[in-house]
Amino acid sequence: MVIEDTLFILWLMVAGPLWATVGLLVLPGVNQGRGEKEQIPATTLKIAGLIGGFALGPIGVGIFYFEPTLIRRTSLTLGVVLTVFLTSQVLVRVIDPNFPSALWLLLAGPLWAALAAYFIPRHYRDLEADDQNALTAAALGGFAVGPLIFGLMWKTTPKINRDWMVTFGALGAWQIYALFAIQNPTNPCVALPFAATYLTQQTANGVVIGCIYSLMAVGLTLIYSVQGVVSFAHGQLYMVGGYFSFYFLEHASYHLSELTGADISVNPIWGIPVAAFIVFIMGAVFERVFLKPMHEGLIERVSEYAILITFGFGFFLEYTTLAVAGPFPQKTDRFIQIRRFTLDRTQITDDFAFGPIHIIGDRAFAMVVGIVLIFALLYFLQRSWTGRALRATSQDRQAAAVTGINPTNMNTLSFAMGSMLAAMSGAALIPIFNWVPWVGAEMVGRSYVIVVLGGLGSVPGALAGGIIVGIVEALGAGCHPDPSRGAAYKEAFALVIFALVLLLKPTGLFGREQH
Amino acid sequence: MVVFRRFESAIDQGIGRRKLGYLVIVLVVLFFLWFPNDTSQSNYTKTVFISGFFYAIMSSSWALLAGIAGQFSFGHMAFMGIGAYAAGLIARDGITFALLGVSISPESISAFGSIIIGTIAAGAVGLVIGWLLLRLRAAYLALFTIAFSELFRIMMLTEYDYTGGSNGLSLRPLLQIADVDAARQVEYYLMFGLLVVCLLALYWVANSPIGLFLRAMREDEDAASALGVNVVRYKILVFVFTSMIVGFAGAIFYSDVGSERIIPEQLEILQMSLIIAYAVIGGMESLIGAAAGAFISRYLLEAMRQVVITLPFGMTTYDGSDAFVWEPGFWRFALFGVVMVFTLRYMRNGLLYPIITWFSGRDIVMKETVSRRESDDNHAARIEADDE
Amino acid sequence: MKRITLIVSIVALLAMIAMLPMSAVQADGHCEFAEDSIKIGGLVPLSAPGAVAGGVAMSWAINRAADDINAACGVSIDGVNHAIEIVIGDSEGSPERGQAVVERFILEDEVHAVTGVYHSAVGLATMGMLDENGIPTVFSEPWNDNVSANGIMEYDGRPPRNADGVDHVFRVSPASSMVGGVVVDWLIDLGVGNVVIIAENTDYGQPAAADELARFEAAGATVTQINVELGTEDFVPILSRIQASADTPDVVRVLVTGETSYNLTQQMAELGIAPSENTICVTNQVAFQSEQYWQNVPDGNYCAFNRVGIIPSLFSDTAVELNAAYFEEFADIVPSYAMASYDAVWIIADGMARAGSSSDGAAIVAAIETTDLDLSQGRYYFEYGNHNPDLPEGTPAFMWHQWPDPVVTMMQYFEQGQSSLDAAVIFPEVYQTHGSGYIAPGTSP
Repeated sequence: MVIEDTLFILWLMVAGPLWATVGLLVLPGVNQGRGEKEQIPATTLKIAGLIGGFALGPIGVGIFYFEPTLIRRTSLTLGVVLTVFLTSQVLVRVIDPNFPSALWLLLAGPLWAALAAYFIPRHYRDLEADDQNALTAAALGGFAVGPLIFGLMWKTTPKINRDWMVTFGALGAWQIYALFAIQNPTNPCVALPFAATYLTQQTANGVVIGCIYSLMAVGLTLIYSVQGVVSFAHGQLYMVGGYFSFYFLEHASYHLSELTGADISVNPIWGIPVAAFIVFIMGAVFERVFLKPMHEGLIERVSEYAILITFGFGFFLEYTTLAVAGPFPQKTDRFIQIRRFTLDRTQITDDFAFGPIHIIGDRAFAMVVGIVLIFALLYFLQRSWTGRALRATSQDRQAAAVTGINPTNMNTLSFAMGSMLAAMSGAALIPIFNWVPWVGAEMVGRSYVIVVLGGLGSVPGALAGGIIVGIVEALGAGCHPDPSRGAAYKEAFALVIFALVLLLKPTGLFGREQH
Repeated sequence: MVVFRRFESAIDQGIGRRKLGYLVIVLVVLFFLWFPNDTSQSNYTKTVFISGFFYAIMSSSWALLAGIAGQFSFGHMAFMGIGAYAAGLIARDGITFALLGVSISPESISAFGSIIIGTIAAGAVGLVIGWLLLRLRAAYLALFTIAFSELFRIMMLTEYDYTGGSNGLSLRPLLQIADVDAARQVEYYLMFGLLVVCLLALYWVANSPIGLFLRAMREDEDAASALGVNVVRYKILVFVFTSMIVGFAGAIFYSDVGSERIIPEQLEILQMSLIIAYAVIGGMESLIGAAAGAFISRYLLEAMRQVVITLPFGMTTYDGSDAFVWEPGFWRFALFGVVMVFTLRYMRNGLLYPIITWFSGRDIVMKETVSRRESDDNHAARIEADDE
Repeated sequence: MKRITLIVSIVALLAMIAMLPMSAVQADGHCEFAEDSIKIGGLVPLSAPGAVAGGVAMSWAINRAADDINAACGVSIDGVNHAIEIVIGDSEGSPERGQAVVERFILEDEVHAVTGVYHSAVGLATMGMLDENGIPTVFSEPWNDNVSANGIMEYDGRPPRNADGVDHVFRVSPASSMVGGVVVDWLIDLGVGNVVIIAENTDYGQPAAADELARFEAAGATVTQINVELGTEDFVPILSRIQASADTPDVVRVLVTGETSYNLTQQMAELGIAPSENTICVTNQVAFQSEQYWQNVPDGNYCAFNRVGIIPSLFSDTAVELNAAYFEEFADIVPSYAMASYDAVWIIADGMARAGSSSDGAAIVAAIETTDLDLSQGRYYFEYGNHNPDLPEGTPAFMWHQWPDPVVTMMQYFEQGQSSLDAAVIFPEVYQTHGSGYIAPGTSP
């Protein structure tokens, strides 16, 4: 799809404006000879004349003149196409005048996705069809199959189930991969025979770190499901969790060594319950003092108050820690004395070998801790009376209150438990990453991505979201054509997914459907 | 207390509180106009004031967006950055439309021209983002704008070749005054003038019918929509408007007025959080409150770098000096956090609220919000509704 | 309302009590000081987004130097002793703040000299202002070449500082080209051909990486450069990529500072990329702070790092004392920027004493140019300046007002938990302590 620049410029410079003027002058004539009720606003006609003439020349003006019913949708479409095309061209030329045309194809995907996402759900609503998920499917489909999506969804307006989205998603992903392979054949993600091993390695990296990420996100989602509050202090609670564990281990090791005379180093696993206990109490106190009034009707506009008050709490925690612990990085001992687990290289056929694949020992351990804690939480929520009461409160406060559950206590419990989970993941990670008072910022950003991806309020969703985010980051950093940008944009890949999910499917992958 | 009551009634019978309020505002403005002529003040104080004015613009425009329109955006700093970066890039590289054969060279753009282009860029991005945000409420909106501003910051940091990475990007100097003292004087008046103009513009919007619609939408979007308020239009409008204001202020501030270059670190969430904290402390629903909150907080944070407490009655400290010297360091930010949390909890409308109310003679801020609560029997139900 | 007031006041009271650690003002009995003290401004980063840990150490060192000088009866000018008073300013790592603080130093605090500066961007932004106001300045940590080069050449459209007279800015930290040169020379000596550079995308990492890259390529090595963002914690995906590449790198060079460099080095070691049989690990100079290093990089044995400043085995008494004091305060080995900041204050004091004035900037600059002092980092002198204004052909411009001798060496740990005072110096050969140019993992010299 290479456009001859000179011709195109000529056309743009002469024909486009010319026909736009013609359209502008001619189209208002449509209203003559139409009944009172069929009159079309003059502005609409003028705009349609401008856009139609500019984009399609005499054809555009002709179509609109003889079929005014087409004006609204067609001129919108053309307007969007032109705007996207021109802005992308301008952007591209500003950034790099020798922009390769193959990348234009990549731009075409989002273009069709945007068009489909705009028009198809409206069409569904016009026909009063079930438009649940239509937006998501239209966007994914537009990206995957381009204009064909209109053929698939316009006429029959099929009800969209998960299969549609999975198919389109997979197709789109495959396209990106294919385009990638064409553009960058030496990339480790596509260059055979290493690609299989490499992709497995990166996926494993993603899964391991993803499970660790999930633990923190689960706390966020728990608070949200009961209170309807997104805690903006979560990152700082994670951070103080790590510090509590660190100071506990340091003191415990010191005193035990003093007592016994031997050089004892307490395993950091013991820091987890300690941090959990302290932060549980912190969370409970904070909830009682600052969040409880919110549910008693003492505060207007609760959701904004909740954002600000948790945010202020985090601000306080971060600077207090900085003043107390100082800016120097800290780290505890490791969980296990195994540096890494390695799956050795295996020769599968004569010219294809698989492996080696490495997993860092402590991370594997932290992953296990994370999974065990998440399942313990799920068990608690499903089986214990308190857990069920929590779930009941999250589903219907009033009904729960009628059955004798005290919602106020449940609020406190959920915030304290959520904070506790953040602290536990902090204590589980301080043997792996070194700790500074601003360590929470990057991590909490990721937790937001995870909970939105998995659906705010869903615990299994947080686990799945964590793994997805882990994999996306690993593959993004591992596969980006420019290793430098791949590394620097690592965090950004997840943020892009996050923004897309927020826009296309705010309920997330596993969230409760909106009504 | 009695004295105060007597004073109060004297005022009420005499000049009237409102007029007194205007008088106070005029006096404050006069003070700021006179201030640079006070030769005992150093240029450093002026510098602190200049950045104070800048943050006052940021805070008060955020107060319009979040406090009055209820759009809880964390992307304010990013829009400021878009304005500054766009102005800087245009002034450095110009634009070439290869397809159209049109090229605007950097030489043909004046410093002010680049600032205008930066403002338009901020407004244009604001338009797109504002449109995308329509579907999102409260927490989701906050999260989305965090993601947006982080993405923008990472891009500015990573695209080293274009943006200068962490070295920052120099904008074209707006003023060319060789004499340092005179330059500082002009910068001071420029920034103060900008603050006054921005505040007037913000107040004009807040007090126009648009402001009423925005408040109505904040309280109940569906009801406002049912009453015929074009929710989509006003939501986008306010977003674009505030984006352009901060884009403009940012482009001017970094055109060697307050600072010579913009660096990506300025766009960190931490910096954004400071703006929010200023607005909260000053009063989120009062534009002048937020502006004053930002100015005063910045001044205090600066002044609190070293606190000297002189002891009375000839007392001395243990090492013989007559004053405690206390360097709070990070504690002053921790204290700031405490103040913010307690302000939110116990003085929802900001620490300056009692003063503003007293002068205006009535509960301007509270009334609109409280009336809604009184009319709402089922408060818990509304919490549920808010959360979705 | 009463309860609220009570709560607020209790919290405020508690906060005040918690915040009461006070700085004690040293009052020494045996020296007679004049009324007017000499004020020296220390411009260091003390809040985010600056490098807070660096700023804290530098601020400590500057104050320590002042205490030591005052304990030796201050600066004697015309037979009268003047005490040194330090004014610390927080640059927050931002050029804009730096400029504002320097303005305050000059106009409000009326300092006689300035030292410090961690971030090059702050140095570049403030040096013109310091020069114009005639403030003698000794920078102690910015590395950007242009900080000293701008004394004699145009930079970024700005004329050189000494175009019309005296140039007031000196530097006792190395220019980044001086450091990069040593690392590359060492590695080329070892015969490496395939280099991976991991650099932070900041004003420190990028110029340093570009410089080393050019040198490696000039020597015929192939280089892959990877930029990372400061604050990244998980490097495993990026490192897996290096591990998967067809030809194993001969060396991985880390140009990342602070806690991010610890995370990177540790993960690199855990994955077995470097240090390993095939790959040399060259980590950042922050590894010299060995307590912190071993706590954060327990697997980092056999990593090499560049060290700026005198090697531990040649530590002077001053250095040993300073190190002991630093260890007492921060429980770690003293970093080079703290030593440089300490020395910078002494250089200024000495210059003022010899110039016989604390306010005549030109005279103090002339005196500092002829400095000849043995301090914690070694012997200080300045080769090129107004006393010797012509740089011979081939001498880089940054040698202007630049301490030519910041000893840059390569050091390497070879025992788990080793103090950096005992680590081996491996390059250049004249400083070698263990007779070896590189200690292969698993061996001992």
